[in-house]
Amino acid sequence: MTWLTNLPAWARWAGAAALGMLLLTIVQSVSGTELLTEEGTAQAMVRWSIPILLAGLGGLYSERAGIVNIGLEGMMILGTWFGAWGALNWGPWGGLLAGLVGGALGGLLHAIATVSFGVDQIISGVAINILAPGLTRYLSERVFSGEAGGSVSQSPRVDGFDSFTVPGLADGLGTIRDQDIFWISDMAGFARGLVAEMSFFTLFGLLMVPLSGWLLWKTKVGLRLRICGENPIAGESLGVNIYGHKYLGVIISGALSGLAGAFIVLELAGLYRGGQTTGRGFIGLAALVFGNWRAIGVLAGSLLFSYPFGLSLVDFNAESSGEATRAVLLVIAIALVGVAVWAFRANKRNDVILAGLIAAIALIWYLSTDTAASWLPNTMPYALVLIVLFFASQRLRGPRTAGLPYRKGET
Amino acid sequence: MAPAIELIGITKRFPGVIANDNINLTVEEGEVHAICGENGAGKSTLMKILYGMQPADEGVMKVFGEEVTFGSPNDAIDRGIGMVHQHLMLADQMSVIENVILGSEPTKGGGIIDFDAAKAHLAEVGSAYGLTVDPDDMIDTLEIGERQRVEIIKVLYRGAKVLILDEPTAVLVPQEVEELFNNLRELKADGATIIFIDHKLQEVLEISDSITVIRRGKTIATVKASDVTAGDLAELMVGEELPSPATGDSTVTTDVALEVNGLTVLDDDERAVVDDVSLKVHRGEILGIAGIEGNGQSELINAIVGTWSANSGNVRMAGKDITTASVRDRREAGLGYVPQDRHREGLLLDAPLWENAALGHQTGAPYSKGFWIDRASSRDHTGTIRSEFDVRSPNVDVSARALSGGNQQKLIIGREMTAHPDVLIAAHPTRGIDVGAQADVWNQIRAARAEGLATLLISADLDELIGLSDTIVVMYHGKLVATLDPSEIDPRTLGSYMTGAALSDASATDPGPSELSGDPS
Ligand SMILES: Nc1ncnc2c1ncn2[C@@H]1O[C@H](COP(=O)(O)OP(=O)(O)OP(=O)(O)O)[C@@H](O)[C@H]1O
Ligand SMILES: [Mg+2]
Repeated sequence: MTWLTNLPAWARWAGAAALGMLLLTIVQSVSGTELLTEEGTAQAMVRWSIPILLAGLGGLYSERAGIVNIGLEGMMILGTWFGAWGALNWGPWGGLLAGLVGGALGGLLHAIATVSFGVDQIISGVAINILAPGLTRYLSERVFSGEAGGSVSQSPRVDGFDSFTVPGLADGLGTIRDQDIFWISDMAGFARGLVAEMSFFTLFGLLMVPLSGWLLWKTKVGLRLRICGENPIAGESLGVNIYGHKYLGVIISGALSGLAGAFIVLELAGLYRGGQTTGRGFIGLAALVFGNWRAIGVLAGSLLFSYPFGLSLVDFNAESSGEATRAVLLVIAIALVGVAVWAFRANKRNDVILAGLIAAIALIWYLSTDTAASWLPNTMPYALVLIVLFFASQRLRGPRTAGLPYRKGET
Repeated sequence: MAPAIELIGITKRFPGVIANDNINLTVEEGEVHAICGENGAGKSTLMKILYGMQPADEGVMKVFGEEVTFGSPNDAIDRGIGMVHQHLMLADQMSVIENVILGSEPTKGGGIIDFDAAKAHLAEVGSAYGLTVDPDDMIDTLEIGERQRVEIIKVLYRGAKVLILDEPTAVLVPQEVEELFNNLRELKADGATIIFIDHKLQEVLEISDSITVIRRGKTIATVKASDVTAGDLAELMVGEELPSPATGDSTVTTDVALEVNGLTVLDDDERAVVDDVSLKVHRGEILGIAGIEGNGQSELINAIVGTWSANSGNVRMAGKDITTASVRDRREAGLGYVPQDRHREGLLLDAPLWENAALGHQTGAPYSKGFWIDRASSRDHTGTIRSEFDVRSPNVDVSARALSGGNQQKLIIGREMTAHPDVLIAAHPTRGIDVGAQADVWNQIRAARAEGLATLLISADLDELIGLSDTIVVMYHGKLVATLDPSEIDPRTLGSYMTGAALSDASATDPGPSELSGDPS
C-alpha cells in the first residue's frame, strides 16, 4: 500500500471522495431516495461547510503556532456582529471586512492573554467564548435596537453577495448528469452543485484552503509559524521571533473565525441574531483534527461534517420527511463494515469489535424505520466526529507543543 | 591578531546558584578549544551566553576583537557564531531541509522559500565536509547519530566561523565519533574556530589544541592539549584520579532474573526490528548489549519495559511471564529503567525534582501512602537521592529543567537505584555525566550487582560496556549475532562486530544478517 501513501494529499482526498460517492450511489439505489447525490444537497453542503471550514482553518493557524484556540466560537460570534454592522453601513464587502477585523480583535485578545501573560490557553479560550455573546448583546443594544427590525438580539436584515455559475463547467457537468450513467452521472450532478450558483463569499472561503496550505508550507513566515507549534526552543535557538509568530498565528486565527461569522450573517441567515453560531467553532476544531492539521484535510472534514446538514435542508420539507437522512444510516453501516475489515487485517481486535457494533446499531436503526427523526441531522456531525476520531486518532499527529506554555530563554 | 572569542569576567546567576562566576575565556582563531568540567560547572550556560540565548549578568564579550552584546541568537549568528546544543534542537515532524533553513530561509522574493536553492546549498555544504543527509527525510525517522549530523549541518549552512559544540559525542558510537572528528579537522583546516565540550577526556585530548577547565562556575586553568594527560585533566576537573569501569570479581549466579524468549517486534511496515531475540540475565550479572543505534536495541528494551508490545515471543521476570503485563505491573514487580533519552522519556522538565523522583515509583513507599501521594516523605527521599547521587541543585523544589544535563541524568539514576530493583534496564546510564560522577554511578551499579541486581546494559561508551559487563552480546539488524567475553575484547574489535565487519569474517557466529535488511514488502 505504499503507493497510496506516496500520492499527494489532494489526490488521496479526491479518491476518497469518489469512493464515497460510489457508496452513496449504491445506497441510493437500494433505499429509494434520490437526494443523497442531488445537486441541491451538494449546494447546501458547500454553503453550510464554509463557516466550519473558515473556523477550522483558523484553528489551523493557531495550533500550528502552538496555541490551542477553543475561543474560535467566541471569535466567530464577534464576526457575526461586526459582519452585520459592516454590511449595514457599507454593504457585503464592508460586512466581510468588518467581520474579519472583529474576529481578529478576539484573536489579539487571546494572543495577549496566552502568549504575553502565559494564561492557560483553554481558560483564555473559554473566557472569550463567554465574553463574546455578552459583548455583542451590549453592542446590539447600543447600535441595533434603535433601527427598524433591530433589537438587543437581532440586527436589521442585510444583503449578501451576488452568486455566479462557473460557465462552461456547470453546463458540461449538467450534460453528463443527464446521461444517467450509474455513479458517473451522480458524481457529475453532485459536482455541478459545487460550481453552480456559487456566492463570491463561498468562493473566497474555498480559496482560503490552497492559500493557507501555500502560506504555511511554502513561505518563510509559514515555516517560522509552524516551528512555534513543533519546537519553539529550536526556533528560538535559530533566532526566530517566537512571540511575534505566535501572535500572528492567533490573530489570523481570529480573523478567519470572524470571516466565518460574517459568512453566517451574510450568506446563511441574512441578519445578525444572538446564538446563531450554534457551536460551529467547535465543529471547526473537530474538522481540524479530522484533517490532521492540514488545510486540505480541514476542507474534507468540513464537507463531511456539513453533509448531514446540507442533506437535511432538502430532506425535511413538504415532499420529503427524512427518507434520505435515514439512508445515511445505511451509508454509515457500510462504511464501518469497511473499517472493521480493515481493522481485522491490521489485527486490531478492539477496533473490529467497536466498528462492528456501531455498524450493527446503524443497520438495525435503518431497518426499523422509514424516516429519520428530525434531530438526527443535527446530531450526526458530532457522532461522525467521534467515530472518525476514534478510529483515526492513532494516525493523527498534531503540532507537538500546541497547548503548552512557552517562555523565552527557558531552555 | 585578535582572538576569535574573548570572554572577560562573565557572571551569570540563577535563583540559588551562580552558574558562571567571573569566567574568563580566550579562544584563538583557527583552534579547537575544549571546555571541560564537572556536571553543573556552568559550561552550557557559558555557551548559551556566547550564543545569545541567555544574557550574562556581568562581563564583556569580544568577537574577533570587537566588543558585542547579544540580544538573541540572531545577533550571534550574524557575527558568525553557530551552536550545536547539548540536547537536540530539532522539530521531529519537520523535514531535514526545513530544520536546516529555519531562520535563514533563501527566498525567491515575496517570502516564498526557494527549496531548490536551499537543497543545492545543503548539498554543497554536505559534500564539502562529507556530511550526507537526505533533505526530505522527516527528523523522527532518523537515528540519533544522523540527527546530530543535521545539527552540525544547521550550523555550517549558516556559514559559521565559530562553532560551539556542546557534548556532541555523548550520543555517538566510536566510529561516528571518528567521523565527526574528521569533519572537525576539515573545518579547522578551512580556518574555522571550534569550541568543544566533552566529558570523555581521551576524545578531548585527541581533538583539541587548548583546554579550559571550569569548576563550580570558575575558570581553573587553560592548558595546551599536548602538555597534559587524561589523568592531569581529571585532577584539574574534580581533583581525583581517572576512574575505570572494571567490575572486578564475578558475582553471577545461576538464578535467572530476566529471560527473553524468541522476542520479535515488528515496525509499522511489518519488518522485524527485533528478530527472534532470546537472552537470559542472571541475578548478579550485567549483560551488555553492543550495537550501533538503530539495530533494534531501543525496540528491545521498550518491549521489555512494556512501552511497546511484542508481536511474538515472551519476557519473564523471575520465572513469571510479563509479556502482556502493564508497565506499572512490571515496575511494581521490580523492574528499573534508565531510558536513553532523558528529556523525552525520563523527566517532566517543568515539574519539581521530587515529582520527577516519584515517576515510575509513584504507587508505593516512600512516595505514596495508600491512595495519596506522601509529599513530605517524597521530598525527604528526593533529598536523599540528591545528596547520595550528588545531584547539584539548590533544593528539591526547582524544576528539572533548571538542572544541568549531567545532573538530570544523576537524578534518574538515583531514582532507579534507590528503589532497589531486581532487574535494571540501563540505556546509556552515564551519558553526559562527568568523570567523577561516572565513577559513583559505576560503583552504585557494582554494589547493587553484588547484592544480586540483574542488569541489561546498553551503552555507546564501549569502555564502559566492556568494563562493566559480565557478558556482551552484539545486536545487528534486529538479531543477536555474537556473544563475547568482555575480558578478551577491546573497543576496536567490538566496534567492528557492531558494524557487521567482523561478522563476515567470523561467519561461525553469524546467522546471516544481510537477509534481514532488504525484506521486500
Ligand atoms: N534555566 C535555569 N534555571 C536555573 N538554574 C539553571 C538553569 N540552567 C542552568 N542552571 C544551573 O546552572 C548551573 C550550571 O549549569 P550548566 O547547564 O551550565 O552546567 P554544565 O556545565 O553544562 O553541566 P553538564 O556537564 O551536566 O551539562 C547548574 O547548577 C544548573 O542547575
Ligand atoms: Mg551542559
